[in-house]
Amino acid sequence: MNFYKKWFWPLVMPSLLLFTMVILYPFIMGLVNSFLAWRGTYYFDPDTGTRATSMFKSFVGFANYKEAFQDKRFISALVYTVKYTFIAVIFVNIAALALALMVTTITKRSGLYRTVFFLPNMLGGLALGFIWQFIFQIIFTDILFSPDALYLPFLRYMTQNSNKALFALAMLSTWQYAGYMMIIYVAGLNTISADYYEAASIDGATYWYSFRKITIPMLMPSFTIVFFMTLANSFKLLDQNVALTDGEFGTRLLAMQILRTVKDTSPPNYGKAQAQAVIFFILVAVITLTQVAITKKKELEM
Amino acid sequence: MKELTVVTSESMNEHYFLKKKIKKVLLHVALTLIALYTLAPLWLLLVNSFKNQSEIISSPLGLPSSFTFSYLTNAAKEINFFRALLVTASITASSVLLIVIVSSIAAWIMVRNKGTASTIVFMCFVAAMLIPFQAVMYPLIQFFDDVRLKSATGLVLMYGGFGLSMSVFLYHGFVKSVPLGVEEAATIDGCNIFQMYIHVVMPLLKSITVTVIVLNSMWIWNDYLLPFLVIGNSPTKTLVLELYFARITAGQFGNPWQLIFPAVLISIIPIIIVYLFLQKYIVKGISDGAIKS
Repeated sequence: MNFYKKWFWPLVMPSLLLFTMVILYPFIMGLVNSFLAWRGTYYFDPDTGTRATSMFKSFVGFANYKEAFQDKRFISALVYTVKYTFIAVIFVNIAALALALMVTTITKRSGLYRTVFFLPNMLGGLALGFIWQFIFQIIFTDILFSPDALYLPFLRYMTQNSNKALFALAMLSTWQYAGYMMIIYVAGLNTISADYYEAASIDGATYWYSFRKITIPMLMPSFTIVFFMTLANSFKLLDQNVALTDGEFGTRLLAMQILRTVKDTSPPNYGKAQAQAVIFFILVAVITLTQVAITKKKELEM
Repeated sequence: MKELTVVTSESMNEHYFLKKKIKKVLLHVALTLIALYTLAPLWLLLVNSFKNQSEIISSPLGLPSSFTFSYLTNAAKEINFFRALLVTASITASSVLLIVIVSSIAAWIMVRNKGTASTIVFMCFVAAMLIPFQAVMYPLIQFFDDVRLKSATGLVLMYGGFGLSMSVFLYHGFVKSVPLGVEEAATIDGCNIFQMYIHVVMPLLKSITVTVIVLNSMWIWNDYLLPFLVIGNSPTKTLVLELYFARITAGQFGNPWQLIFPAVLISIIPIIIVYLFLQKYIVKGISDGAIKS
């Protein structure tokens, strides 16, 4: 098609320009800077102890990476993020799938329920984090689970303990994201023809049996998407973390650790923060690609 | 013997329908409870926006003892509500407009002009979806500062860049399913490429455009980190930023809930209104987006 050919570059150019400016160039610079004694506004020359005359004089090899791995806060944020992601992915997925199965079974008022369940997604993580902070600190601690009421010590002071805060954060995320993931599961469930279930029930299959043998396999494409989204979202979570505990009591997730590293160090050590960011990128890429490869393989096997 | 079987099957039938009905009722009860659980935090937000600090702490669940808008107006002043709303709305609208135009036209021409270049460019966009924001944020801010674009304009460009990958991907998938016939007819009629894009292609992409608009506006409107890094504590803050700074400045000595609740409430009212009016499109946009990807 000659008609389109001569217009290819002019029409792709605006997007390429934006892409280069916002993602490609900063990404490459990020990789480079993680090997330099970068201080944000200038490069430091470790040999002379002053500002480097050129950025190449500021080369420090893997020193930033070494420093990152020796930083207790980074390691603890890394472990905390992995734990959180594990819990959140399970919580959100179970809740979302259960909601999807329930709203597709009923016909009356199904739309209303969906509207309500999806609502929390419209609101920002920061605003919701503030509300939930109040719930954990006042409602849970002083009212619902206080010694005078339903005494459940684990659900009290949840924002002031690193292990409890993990669950607090997961509860908040489940409350917020389950409705979104439900929509995706509902879309998947709607593609499964009712004929399969009918045939199975004529053959005397129980609900549980057809769930395992029909629903789960047919829902594989949805699992791929939902797992991808929940994994990536949990790993990169920031706003809720800031609003709920602000990283106090050892509750920093990786995204916040990278953000706060430049505040922890003086002068701000952007090189080290950037090294952590590169490690973060590698982790996100490896985890999500592995997950997609595994679920895609399962899709084909089914 | 024969009679007996009929009777049993009838009673079994009845039993079956009764069981089904009970199941349905139980399902509705469960769903209603979950819906109440979902709405409970928002109920707390609503009732506590009309109380003073001590009443919030002493009776957080009940209705306010006296009804006053003073906490809301006070909070509106504190977070410069109308200015922040205008700032947030214009940043979100310009960014989404930029994303829609740039990514739809790029995805369209990439599908229509297949080749190595087209494939490579598309692959770059898709691969970029794996890059988390944290990996590029510091160099990005530095670069935009160097070219004097650390401003609201720069923010719009950044959102344009970040929204691009997913949007190109969605449009690309959609354009592939749009038949060439109409466009061929338009060429014969002497349409040039821009007329074709505006009058022929864009109308065909309406449904996927809804998805792109929904997905992008949702995160741009509520985004905290990028405006925090770019605009920071300058006079033209977005709603989320205003909320964040109000919380920090007031919250150094404990939690001033009588400010936080009404501030959160008024900052989310615009989205709630939009959601109530457009929820059909929003939910459809999300589920279409999920199926396409």
